[in-house]
Amino acid sequence: MAEHSEITASLRAFQEGYNKNKRLKKMNADWDRVVLVEANDIPSRHTLILRKGELTIQEGSPENPDIKIISDSETLADMFYGDITPTQPYLNGTLKVLGTEDDVVRLDFISLMIWGE
Amino acid sequence: MKRVVSVSLGSSRRDHKVQVALFGEEFEISRRGTDGNFDQAIALLQGLDGEVDAIGLGGIDVYLYAGKTRYVVKDGLKLMQAVHKTPVVDGSGLKNTLERETVYFLRQNTALLPLKAKVLMVSAVDRFGMAEAFTSLDCEVTYGDLIFSAGIPYPISTLEELEEIAHKTLPDMCQLPFHMLYPTGKKQEVQDEEKIKKYGHYYLEAQVIAGDFHLIRRYLPPLKGQTIVTNTTTTEDVTFLREKGAGYLVTTTPEFQGRSFGTNVIEAIMVVLLQKPWPKITPEDYLNLLKQLDFKPRILKLN
Repeated sequence: MAEHSEITASLRAFQEGYNKNKRLKKMNADWDRVVLVEANDIPSRHTLILRKGELTIQEGSPENPDIKIISDSETLADMFYGDITPTQPYLNGTLKVLGTEDDVVRLDFISLMIWGE
Repeated sequence: MKRVVSVSLGSSRRDHKVQVALFGEEFEISRRGTDGNFDQAIALLQGLDGEVDAIGLGGIDVYLYAGKTRYVVKDGLKLMQAVHKTPVVDGSGLKNTLERETVYFLRQNTALLPLKAKVLMVSAVDRFGMAEAFTSLDCEVTYGDLIFSAGIPYPISTLEELEEIAHKTLPDMCQLPFHMLYPTGKKQEVQDEEKIKKYGHYYLEAQVIAGDFHLIRRYLPPLKGQTIVTNTTTTEDVTFLREKGAGYLVTTTPEFQGRSFGTNVIEAIMVVLLQKPWPKITPEDYLNLLKQLDFKPRILKLN
């Protein structure tokens, strides 16, 4: 089990990886989304905001998220640190991504562009 | 009579059966769509295994390529592994030869592919041979893999960048259910109007639009005389492209009774004719057989 602070730190690492990737920002310039990241084994909620290609992170839940990412704390921390890709936990049901299929594919793509080999 | 069946995840509305003679051998070639139903496709493949001479897999790829790296599509492999006795192919072997030759043929024999021609390939990792051929002939190619398969409005303009992005993303993305990456079943029968508004301009900026027909069709705006290079077109598709304002239709596979079948079907026929195990067939085997069969691209003026 990871702690809330570890999830926060993993999201900061993800944000840093994203924001230093100019090409990724260009790719997502049209994709404004509010994403809830929620752990289902500890009280931990974060909000990712993608606007005009820039990614910001806030503590707590948004009012109306476009996408919800829900998993156990360990999986969330591992995923946002890039130790695992989202694909396997998504496929085995550990990770739930509630949104349109297009949004799910796009989030997977962003993660792979930051952490992929 | 040799029997070749293409089992497709695509719409059953496109089902078709023809008989042709090749090298004095009679072939019955049929296509059976399963409307995106994966379990039905598995059951159909298991029923055909050992009962027909070769099977093609349509509406899905088993192998994608970027550079020298081959990526395996998990769902495609599951279908292939449902067959144990009959040779089964996805068309990727033939794409690498036949579709390259089609591009060279257009440059050498027509005015449809001039130097510096602007080409949109709606997806290149399923047709890397064609992508390399366009590039080798100094065409200005836009690879639309991210735009049309992932909804990301980022045109890739070099094969190097395509390979780099593929290397980062495809090992994982190939594990996703195939319908998340490609229109299957009923999605093949309708256009995505929202994305046509967003991405239609990529079609209009090109002189030649090439690649998978279902991707081309799904996002196709009204055209201004562009040339379409593809296959698996039916008579209805030809009418659709004419009404949309396409100038020419070039199909890479030969026409059998008004229908250009997919490369998986033609590759399955070739496996029967070559009488060699599929893994042992080389690009040269395909090229030699293509020459003997005198297969040439079909070029149809539409407008």
